[in-house]
Amino acid sequence: MSDDENRRRFESLAMPHLSAAYNLARWLTRNDHDAQDVVQEALVRAMRYIGGFRGDNARAWLLQIVRHSCFSWLKENRPAERVYEADDEIHHDIAAPATDEPHAVAARKADRLQINRAIAALPVAYREVLVLRELEDLSYNDIARIADIPVGTVMSRLARARGLMREAMTPPSTRAVLRPVPRSTNGD
Amino acid sequence: MKPQIDIHRINAFVDGELDLAAQLEMEECLQRDAGLREQVEALRRLREDIREGANYHPAPAALRRRIAMIAATKPAPQPPRPSAIAATAGRWFEWRPLVASFGLVAVLAVTLDVAWLRSSQDSRLLDDVVASHVRSTLGQHLVDVASSDRHTVKPWLSSKLDFSPPVNELQIPRSVFLGGRVDYLDGHPVAALVYRQGEHVVNSFVWPSAAPDSKAEFSAVRGFQAAHWSQGSMTHWVISDLNREEFSTVVGAIQQAGDGNR
Repeated sequence: MSDDENRRRFESLAMPHLSAAYNLARWLTRNDHDAQDVVQEALVRAMRYIGGFRGDNARAWLLQIVRHSCFSWLKENRPAERVYEADDEIHHDIAAPATDEPHAVAARKADRLQINRAIAALPVAYREVLVLRELEDLSYNDIARIADIPVGTVMSRLARARGLMREAMTPPSTRAVLRPVPRSTNGD
Repeated sequence: MKPQIDIHRINAFVDGELDLAAQLEMEECLQRDAGLREQVEALRRLREDIREGANYHPAPAALRRRIAMIAATKPAPQPPRPSAIAATAGRWFEWRPLVASFGLVAVLAVTLDVAWLRSSQDSRLLDDVVASHVRSTLGQHLVDVASSDRHTVKPWLSSKLDFSPPVNELQIPRSVFLGGRVDYLDGHPVAALVYRQGEHVVNSFVWPSAAPDSKAEFSAVRGFQAAHWSQGSMTHWVISDLNREEFSTVVGAIQQAGDGNR
């Protein structure tokens, strides 16, 4: 494939997804400066690989490269982040969502600041699936491919991420009241 | 009995990710289970809140310009060493003027030389080698595997490459083996072995080639010494900012160590 053709391919396939790339990197690194560095490095890599790209989903392909660059960066620069969550198999007692309680109304009106803080505070393994799902509207399959995990893990991490979001968006005062959501399993 | 539907399934249902059979089953459950309906509703609202409230960060215009510039100025399948460096330099101008003060001078010098020399295959490769060297010494990315033990470095490199590079410590005074990294030169991934000679960093690039063994050819690019040769079906490129004399000693030691391998 000629240089020109590769350049055209890069411009038509990768460049349209630059904002998706940046948004993911921005949420994973949590700052503009590092996100720019990481995205630039990832895009340079994408240029190198574009000749070998054969699929039809350039966005997932590019995000996979960006995600990889982000996690390399995190490992090097934020070793304290739990990059690899090993607790997917453990059953989390996720409080069932409830509607007719005061916090549901509170969450409804949750201001942007609170929502953004809550996402930023998620462990990175949950943050990435949530961002890919809610901000990029990607399918479980695409997310699985990008994050290099099975679809079942996408599902469990997403459920966990939303559980954590609900908790974070629940005002502390109501939390104690809401906490017990007993799931009566005995005989009703 | 209330059917227990796990939260993962409810999430997948809300996301429209269940297969048809499971979807229908869930809809049926929803008909008779008010609690489940509430859960689904709450999840939908949470999703909506997140989608409406979360910041979406579009790519900054400066980043877009930089990447477009890199894409436009370099042949795509090759790593964009010179232009990447130019871009890095530009970024440092914007953001890190203090750090740039020393590094930028070197980078600009190299970039200018690089433009000047662009004539033959070798000089183009020399560009890449110089740029790669400068980049490794300016950034924090000198080595991927930091070890002075060649028995650690060699298997690591072999596992990342489709060949096994010769990895040797150098039997000369003041030489320290720092480790290795995978770099990209001449259109393919290569092994970079990194040494420190006194205060100077030496990058030694190795990749397979069909060329017969040859003597080292030396070249100098403003302040940098480079040498390349073929040995044992491998192409070698060595570069450093050492003076010519010390550099020859290092090159000799690398060749000698390579001979000892065979």
